[in-house]
Amino acid sequence: MEVELVEIRQFLEQRNPFSYLDDQLLDELPQDIEIRYLRRSGSFPPADGFLYVVRSGAIKVYDKSGELCEKLGEGDLYSVTCQLVNFDDCNRGEAVEDSLLYMLSCDRLKALCRSSKTFSEHFSASVKERLKTAVTPVQGSHDPTVAAMMVEVASLVRRQPITIDSGMTIRETAAMMSNKDVSSVMVMQGEQLVGLVTDRDLRRRCVAIGLSGAEPIDQIMTPDPVVIEGNTLTAQALMTMTRKRFHHLPVTRDGKLIGMITATDLANHQSANSAYLAVDVRKAKTVADLIEVSRRLPSLHLRLANASATARHIGEAVSCLTDSITARLLQMAEASLGPPPVPYAWLAGGSQARREQSSHSDQDNALLLSDDFQPEHDEYFAALAKFVSDGLDACGFVYCPGDAMATNKQWRQPLRVWQGYFSGWIERPDPMSMMLSSIFFDLRPVTGSVELFTPLQTMILKKSEENRIFLAHMMANAMQHRPPLGFFRQFVLERGGEHDETLDLKHRGIVPITDIARLLALSLGKAQVNTVDRLRACAGTLALSTDMAENLEDALEFIASLRIQHQANQIRRGVKADNYVPPDQLSELEREHLKHAFKVIQLMQETMTKRFGADNLG
Amino acid sequence: MLARFLGKEYQRKKALATAAPGPLADYLATPFPDRQSDCRELEIVAIDLETTGLDPRKDDILSIGLVHIDRFAVKLSTAWHSIVRIDRDIPGDSAIIHHITDDRSAAGAPIDALLPELLRRLAGLPMLVHYSPIEQNFISASCQRLYGAPFVAPIIDTLEIGQRILERRNHLIQPGDLRLFNLRPRYNLPQYKAHNALTDALATAELFLAMADNLYPERPCPLGQFLSNR
Repeated sequence: MEVELVEIRQFLEQRNPFSYLDDQLLDELPQDIEIRYLRRSGSFPPADGFLYVVRSGAIKVYDKSGELCEKLGEGDLYSVTCQLVNFDDCNRGEAVEDSLLYMLSCDRLKALCRSSKTFSEHFSASVKERLKTAVTPVQGSHDPTVAAMMVEVASLVRRQPITIDSGMTIRETAAMMSNKDVSSVMVMQGEQLVGLVTDRDLRRRCVAIGLSGAEPIDQIMTPDPVVIEGNTLTAQALMTMTRKRFHHLPVTRDGKLIGMITATDLANHQSANSAYLAVDVRKAKTVADLIEVSRRLPSLHLRLANASATARHIGEAVSCLTDSITARLLQMAEASLGPPPVPYAWLAGGSQARREQSSHSDQDNALLLSDDFQPEHDEYFAALAKFVSDGLDACGFVYCPGDAMATNKQWRQPLRVWQGYFSGWIERPDPMSMMLSSIFFDLRPVTGSVELFTPLQTMILKKSEENRIFLAHMMANAMQHRPPLGFFRQFVLERGGEHDETLDLKHRGIVPITDIARLLALSLGKAQVNTVDRLRACAGTLALSTDMAENLEDALEFIASLRIQHQANQIRRGVKADNYVPPDQLSELEREHLKHAFKVIQLMQETMTKRFGADNLG
Repeated sequence: MLARFLGKEYQRKKALATAAPGPLADYLATPFPDRQSDCRELEIVAIDLETTGLDPRKDDILSIGLVHIDRFAVKLSTAWHSIVRIDRDIPGDSAIIHHITDDRSAAGAPIDALLPELLRRLAGLPMLVHYSPIEQNFISASCQRLYGAPFVAPIIDTLEIGQRILERRNHLIQPGDLRLFNLRPRYNLPQYKAHNALTDALATAELFLAMADNLYPERPCPLGQFLSNR
């Protein structure tokens, strides 16, 4: 490279995916660049066969029908003419400001793709692969204090290293492993770690192939195992294990072996926090005790986020605790009110039912009573509901603003009334029932006589599966929450080209996927309530391809984990957690991945509109 | 204007007659492009020289930077930058501007060795510069000394074009308005931090593309409209 082209190199090296290239490739990159100028209203792209990087200015890109696809600003990439991705037909546009464009020929781009896997994943047609690269930067990328709060692997080492000498036989090793009750040992030559033997090695490399137990252990060990320094963060250790598909990692400190961690250790560590809280919930004697436990929910959220637990995992942990608190409150209520006059099931609705709660979710609940219910019993259940609902509110699960709670007499009814409700909602859908759909079509019995729920659920699934008009209403309702197109500079880019200041991660990203999954599950009569469970249950059907199911799952996990990090940052700063992220707080990579996630949602919404929409009823 | 440019062709042939055989004669033997040719179809060489001062009789070329435009695309693969070795100390004030120290200069090549490559690159192509007297006069002075004939080139000068545009808009031109880095923002072109001959040649190339595209948004974009009278 002419060293004076350093300015061009600097511009590119700060941007994904060029930042993944090594120094030598980056040095050589500028000489492959061509530069073109496009005056405002000039048509784009000026030539086929190039990757474009906007150096300055702004470009609007449209699809064949004239819909705005995206708006490119400084640093944004356009690779459509290289046809690496046959993702959409966003193939024409115009400069909306005077623009300077850097161009790299598709041939050079393809050569770069061959030289770096991470680089090429950026242009991958599979959203799954693109989103895969998103996992790393999301973890603790925002705040330096995150790193300090993350746990070092050394603290998870529970016992002295179990070692054997490399001179021992396979049989001696196996005996020693069962004696010490370990699934793996480290093989030493003096002070030097030379190998690793696991149960799996004994099975696969010895027993399965009939190798004699008298053979030396180094015949079947994994030589020169990857070791990890004790000060490595658990999140990183987990990544190493996942990436390399290891289940065991020897841990060293200053080069000296201090023990071993397993994938199970890491998984236990992540959920230990919630497990302790659940024990405390069970031990709680008063509502005040429960409030005390609940105070630790935000810090549970924080710790799980720091330990890089998945969004799904955190949602399950928080929902599980809410379930425990609900169940404990019901026990306390029954202890003071006496046993229930007729059997009941306490139903959770909304995010708790889906096991997708965050630490600041509202409460949505209902009481399903046995058909033996008599009007005079209501006094008891009203008091029961009030006790639990007040208790939940005091624990931080604030009252539902729409009054979808068991304290509302409408939602405290015997089975036959509930069946009547659902029949009405499904057979004669109206705006009201659509509003309730996100709460009551996600329903799960938490405690009590849970068997009361089965006939209700069976009826709901049977009716909804058969009712096209209901599904069309659900579809129309689902289309009320659409993802934005992407980003332009520090703004959220909306369909039609308007700009927004902040991105509502919940309503523009998570809710659309939740709605999609609910509609699919109801249309196919699937009983699952959790969004990912629903997507998996519906995958491979005419309504949802396996690929699309995976893409949606990845998109959901990515958006939800961004929300968790965003909320964790707010909790850390002592501000109330919300769903609104200003785009300038997102890294370039996060924006890029969000854009792909939005695209997945948009595609699925379009596919489903064709399948379920009102236009398709005639 | 036509007469003047015919004058350039005349000057070229006249210089060719006096030039000693070698790089300059080869350069002068190549005809200049037709004034009617479309800039969008042409190859153009953007060039910038850093010098120790403004007077070609007393001052020296310190570095040469150039890059080719081909059919309205700047090709960075053609970028060329050379430090010139000079026989005397570099004045302190110019070193501050160019960051070319005596040590860096000593590592360069003498102008005699660089001129053939420069002439080879420019042969038959318009030379694009911002404020042409420096490049024209310094290259010409070196050619006179080495090959005994002046340097003649069809010149596109973005400073002159900028001046014409501003005058046409009845813009009262302030000191500094016509400097390269003050004209660029008018076309939404980025600010480059580094100042060296190659960056400035590139900055000039981009400025020309912007000016030409705005003056002639539709084809054709005749070369004659941009050629300098100098």
